[in-house]
Amino acid sequence: MKNSASMLLLSITLTSLFSYPASAAVAEIELVIKDHLFFPATLEIPAGQKVRIRIINQDSTPEEFESYELNREKIIVGNGQAVIFIGPLEPGRYPFFGEFFPKTAQGVVIVK
Amino acid sequence: MRSIRLFLISSILATLVLFNFLAALQGYQSSMEEAETLFDNQMLDLARLVSNLDVSNSNTTEIRLGNDLAFQIWEDGSLLAASSNAPDELLQNFTPGFEFTNFNGYRWRTFSRFEPSLNRWVIVAERTDLRFVLAENVVLQSIFPLLLGIPLVGLLIWVIVSHGLKPLQQLSTELKNKRANDLSPIHHTDSRVELDQVIESTNGFIQRLGRVMEREKRFSADAAHELRTPISALKIQLHNLSEEIDTNHDSFLALQYGVERMQHLIEQLLWLYRATPEQFVANCKAVDLFKITQDQLAILYPGFEKKAQQIELQGDSAFVEGDQFALEKLISNLLRNANKYTQEGGKIVVRIEELEAAGEDAVKGSAEKEICLTVEDNGPGIAESDRVRVFDRFYRADSQDDTPLSPGCGLGLTIVSHIAELHHARVVLEESSMESGCAFKVYFKKIS
Amino acid sequence: MFLNAVIIVLQEILEASLLISVLLVFTQLFHKIWGKSFSLKTSWVAYSIILGIIGAGLYSHYTPQVSEWFDYVGQEVVNASIHIGSLILLLILAFVVPSKKITGKLMTRSRLTTFCMTGVVLLAIIREGSEIMQYVGGIAGQSGNFTPIVFGGIIGAGIGLSIGVLLYYGLMSLSIKWAYRLGLILLMLIAGNMGSQAVLLLTQADWLPFTPIAWNTSALLAEDSILGHLLYALIGYEATPSILQLVCYLSGMIMIAISPLFRKVQPHNQSLAGTN
Repeated sequence: MKNSASMLLLSITLTSLFSYPASAAVAEIELVIKDHLFFPATLEIPAGQKVRIRIINQDSTPEEFESYELNREKIIVGNGQAVIFIGPLEPGRYPFFGEFFPKTAQGVVIVK
Repeated sequence: MRSIRLFLISSILATLVLFNFLAALQGYQSSMEEAETLFDNQMLDLARLVSNLDVSNSNTTEIRLGNDLAFQIWEDGSLLAASSNAPDELLQNFTPGFEFTNFNGYRWRTFSRFEPSLNRWVIVAERTDLRFVLAENVVLQSIFPLLLGIPLVGLLIWVIVSHGLKPLQQLSTELKNKRANDLSPIHHTDSRVELDQVIESTNGFIQRLGRVMEREKRFSADAAHELRTPISALKIQLHNLSEEIDTNHDSFLALQYGVERMQHLIEQLLWLYRATPEQFVANCKAVDLFKITQDQLAILYPGFEKKAQQIELQGDSAFVEGDQFALEKLISNLLRNANKYTQEGGKIVVRIEELEAAGEDAVKGSAEKEICLTVEDNGPGIAESDRVRVFDRFYRADSQDDTPLSPGCGLGLTIVSHIAELHHARVVLEESSMESGCAFKVYFKKIS
Repeated sequence: MFLNAVIIVLQEILEASLLISVLLVFTQLFHKIWGKSFSLKTSWVAYSIILGIIGAGLYSHYTPQVSEWFDYVGQEVVNASIHIGSLILLLILAFVVPSKKITGKLMTRSRLTTFCMTGVVLLAIIREGSEIMQYVGGIAGQSGNFTPIVFGGIIGAGIGLSIGVLLYYGLMSLSIKWAYRLGLILLMLIAGNMGSQAVLLLTQADWLPFTPIAWNTSALLAEDSILGHLLYALIGYEATPSILQLVCYLSGMIMIAISPLFRKVQPHNQSLAGTN
């Protein structure tokens, strides 16, 4: 009895994980990593909207995009690119940094 | 499965590593903060210096600073002067204090300051990566010995823990090597408070066990001893009776046989309990096995003669370490056994020979020699399935055949194996080399 | 560089070593509770670590290709799958553990349990290990970076492993009852964290819809503080979890709570209390 209930719960959780299709028509911003710096170091996005950030790493070393405020973490391989979705967000400042080179790779998302 | 040593070493090392490394981290962080403050103060000084620069002279714009520093002087919203590596754009908003910015492909720490007397803004910048690397290299030097020390500390902990556990290890080795019949107390000279109770309790157990065994032994011995007197009395009465009545009467014969058998049983029982390891070691000396065999054969000869058995002794003098009396008993028991179980007119061969050690514990190539005492007959032999049982107490191959000729009680071979064990000798029961029968072989260590 | 290396290596090593500690404690507890009839060999740890390191090497080697999958969100999808796979293995483990007084050998169950433990640790090491490998492999080769990264790596690994060892011996020093209870609580947090992480990654890849954040405790305990990092590795602490993350965290915990593994504590309370 309890087992079947738990299996049901498991299947509900699993279907909820996979049944949502990706939404279309999202604004994209490009963020370039070069010499362990972010270009641009300040990203401005509108409040309440989902944004796709395409990170292009022009260094040969990998970098990890990390932001505690945005709750995002992702490795971008050397000379590679990656996509991260953020938002919708409340207005405010959301700093991010490159975890592998945090002294130089610093940036901020400003939501207006 | 769970080891005290592993627990101690890994948990002590883990605690040590954890707190040492956390302390190192803390030290790193505070040192780096200190260094940051230091660098910031330098920038402050630099800004103050730059603000008072006389820029009316045109060539000041050509001021070159090291690659890691830059400055700008702004007056009324226009760039008055700058170091050669500074960009034309405003490095920092006109807000006094520290900031970060990116230019020339680097990240810079900037500081801006307003000079009221000259009505100008001064912005100085320093490359973060360079000043950071500089500070970090200094701080890491202090962490390095800590890392280097950890393997050493681990090794030391291992040595210390092993040393600390040594008394325990010694005690367990001592207990492991203790022979089963050794009831002497444990003498742990290298005593520790923690182990004293263990040793005391163990010795208490050993002592109590010893007392119990002693009591049992004494009881059997005393009982057997006390029984001797009435048996002797019985025998005298039996002898007296034989003079007065017809001795061929069945009941009388049965009575005589019964008394004889009881006497034998008591003698053997007495023997079994007399041959204790402690007594044995005290009486041990080099004895001639051949001589003992000869003497025993002479004593027992009437028995062989009675059954018209042919008996032969082969071999030569051979010395082994042992107790004379015990070895006499061993040989006489083997001879009696052969006499008893071999048919009338049968043949018995007793052989004493020197052999190369063939035991599994013998080291190859070593000149270890053994003395082998063989007693074989051409009697009916013992079935393979019964061979393991012949040394058991009170086992008799002919338990249904109670003829007056065999006053055995089933203890003879038990005593043989007991004595052999005391002498660290092996007893083997094999098939006889003659057409039938069995061969008892006792392998003694030769005195070197 | 140094501090970063510490944080990155510590976080990954700590997650793996806590998982290994808790599962090893359960291995020992199963042996104590059921004796030979449901006893696992502790050698599974060695296998899972060796295979995990090999797997981590392969994964980090193929990360450039993987990250291009699904329009550059391949990493999120693969990592989320690893989390979900680990969670499923943990749940299988929790459900195949015998709950009643058992008779005879339970070969199939103990094999399956061993398989699940090996699998969970293996997957964790693949994920954590590949991140360390990418970091160290990608950065340490550059001049000037080597010393701080190696030092930081050693210090991070040392702290992470030490906490794991102390947790193991700490739990093993308790009575069976309490070791089981605390181990179970940790296992529930681990399971919840796996669910929550999978949701976070799939949201980041836009495979799951955005849900508002449930709360913001960053003022109370910042994620980038040392305690924040430790709690993140331990129970998956996040200052700003989304509602869907919270739901999945709780369902992971609940599913462990309704499993035989959880119920095991109740009927044997009295008998267990006296055994240690």
